[in-house]
Amino acid sequence: MSKIDSFGFDNNKLCDRNLFPKSFDNFKIILVITLMAVILIAPALSPLRVVHGQQPSQVTITAIVAEPKERWDALFASALDKLREKHPDMAIKIDYRVLPYADTRKQILTAMAGKTTIDLISVDQIWLGEFAEGRFLSDLTSLANSWNRSSDWYKTNWDGGLYNGKVYGIWAWTDVRAMWYWKDLLNQSGVKPDSLSTWDGYLEAAKKIENSTNGKGIQAVHLVGASHSPDMWYPYLWMQGGEIVKQKTGHPEKGTYWFPSYNSTEGVRALEFLKAQVDAGIKPQINHFWGQEFADKKFAMMLEGSWLLGHFNRTEWSTLDKKVGMIPMFPVPKSGGPSATMMGGWMLGIPETSANKALSWELLTIMVEPDILAPMLEKYAYLPTQKPIAEGQYSSQLAKTIPYYKELISMLSIGHSRPSISEYPQIADNIRQAIDEVYLGLKQPKQALDDAAKKSAEVLGWT
Amino acid sequence: MLQSKLYLQPYLLIVPSLAILVAFLLFPLIWNVYLALHDVSLTTILGDWKYVGLKNFASLLQDGDFHTSLYVSLIFVGGSVALQFFIGMIVAVVLNQQIRGSNTFRALFIIPWTVSAVITGFSFKFIFNDSFGIVNYGLGQIGLGPVSWLSDPGTVVWSLIVANMWHGTPFTIIFLTAGLFSINPVVYEAARIDGATKFKSFLYITLPLLRPFVIINLILITMWSVNFFDLILVMTNGGPLFSSTTSSLFMYRQAFEFGLLSKGATVGFILIAMNLVLAYSYMRLLRSQDKSIEIKHS
Repeated sequence: MSKIDSFGFDNNKLCDRNLFPKSFDNFKIILVITLMAVILIAPALSPLRVVHGQQPSQVTITAIVAEPKERWDALFASALDKLREKHPDMAIKIDYRVLPYADTRKQILTAMAGKTTIDLISVDQIWLGEFAEGRFLSDLTSLANSWNRSSDWYKTNWDGGLYNGKVYGIWAWTDVRAMWYWKDLLNQSGVKPDSLSTWDGYLEAAKKIENSTNGKGIQAVHLVGASHSPDMWYPYLWMQGGEIVKQKTGHPEKGTYWFPSYNSTEGVRALEFLKAQVDAGIKPQINHFWGQEFADKKFAMMLEGSWLLGHFNRTEWSTLDKKVGMIPMFPVPKSGGPSATMMGGWMLGIPETSANKALSWELLTIMVEPDILAPMLEKYAYLPTQKPIAEGQYSSQLAKTIPYYKELISMLSIGHSRPSISEYPQIADNIRQAIDEVYLGLKQPKQALDDAAKKSAEVLGWT
Repeated sequence: MLQSKLYLQPYLLIVPSLAILVAFLLFPLIWNVYLALHDVSLTTILGDWKYVGLKNFASLLQDGDFHTSLYVSLIFVGGSVALQFFIGMIVAVVLNQQIRGSNTFRALFIIPWTVSAVITGFSFKFIFNDSFGIVNYGLGQIGLGPVSWLSDPGTVVWSLIVANMWHGTPFTIIFLTAGLFSINPVVYEAARIDGATKFKSFLYITLPLLRPFVIINLILITMWSVNFFDLILVMTNGGPLFSSTTSSLFMYRQAFEFGLLSKGATVGFILIAMNLVLAYSYMRLLRSQDKSIEIKHS
């Protein structure tokens, strides 16, 4: 029985006709199998896979670093020149990808989990524990010992690169958060800058400035309501002696392990101060433009990182102190009490998947050499983590160029860093939730922090 | 021998397409289930993967934040689908009338759909900005106070729905326009001669004949809205609190922000199940209505 299809062809007849020779059939089968193989193998050939040292004289070092790009362009260019000078027998290239901050961690983790070859990465201090715990980072302890430069670093900054006593990252530069204000706006409001240094004075000043700037499109005080709001709460916790997590015995699996301690009395008081700001009419800002909003004069006062200076034109730097004031502290509960700030910045690390560990280490060490690093810090207003830059011959040049450099450097002594444990991102999210609940008036500070700490304890395995 | 070769030939020819489906659809799906049955995070991915059975599903079902995300998803998907569909339907029908410039309008209306969700997200983030957004500026011009569009848990989902509506409605317009083109104008002519008004023609001719397009459109925009997260990520990142964290964003954050791959995979599996149930429900609806039409005709 013939089958006539919709196109009028008799399919039985078509099938009965052996249109092609047998060898052509075999060819088709081989073609199909080859196609299948190509399709299945193709995804395994990642585009990030860079050929390393196929020829002995050619080496490509791959890197993933976080934006802004210009700082890395400058740093890699000068470091690479020096590395090439040291190895005239090698044709060394560097292939680096610069990613937005929000994507960097994700991209690095994904690449390393997929065992993609990367030789150098920029590591935020809070990622170090996670990366080291996941065995993504190379243990640099023995290399660092032979290098013998650890004593050049400030202790906090050197220790920031350690995880379980081993070196996994070298903290290249740092930043601190400080209090910035527009001098004319404070003058017009009758607020003396000194009064901003205490919690009560800060709240009072906010009200005065708000009354004075009302209707001019300028807000008195910037209060962070974005996803990183915990970063701006920690200084108030630290200045009273509180901690985010503490070591505790009795962990069901690990014996002694981290336990959330941010819901302590100090933590509650710190959150009560944020609540007092909201009660005083200060609006938490869900968008954070990292100081651009201050440079645009949308806010009269802002607690912001030292990178804020980068939002002003460099030609303005020499006279900036006439317009913009800076107090090197976070407001404190009582006048004369200790203050605190949070330190950030970037570390450099070498992934376990690096195909050129020795050369990458050499490049890393060149990048943090004072004569290579200091010009970049000067250009982008970053703070040094090394004494030879902060206190040595480079300091006078940095102080001459970067506004308020000495005041910013003085803050390093009150600088704290966040815990570099693998569970930190979830703990920070629990704290963010507590802060949001207080901002929105859903919970009182103690209740919000206790609830958050309960979740954090579960995250840390205390169930 | 020859017979068996000829029998195998069509199967061999579909092997490349099957290989693509297996590599990019079936394998990730099975891998997702495998991940959901183990305890894997980004920090343990290179170590041993501990088999935990259905523990991830059990803990997820007890997770209050996941419950919130389901509720947020329900509002976001319901609101987005309803608005996209009704506005899309109205615009498609209006443009199907004999009006001048309808083709130009169709071309203009498709622009939002060609813009990436991330760009849409950034644009609406500025439009709805509390301090300098154009919406609050407009409200200020008519003497009204500013609204916290993106920082108030009560308004944030609706702001996202509006942004998603702007982005997604053009698809409904184009899809239903295609459906309207497939209806023979003679049917309307006959109805007009029989004295039917335009509204009755729409109700008794357009809607029934457009039903297959409507159902497929609803399936697609529902599934897209369930899976949609990039616009939300850009506009609010799920905040304030969890008031704009949909299930798809919850999944993304668990897997890629916190590195909890198994938890993310478990949410992903539940989202697939939800999508299948929704698609099946729509298909059932289509079939039951087809049957009722057949019965009426018989």
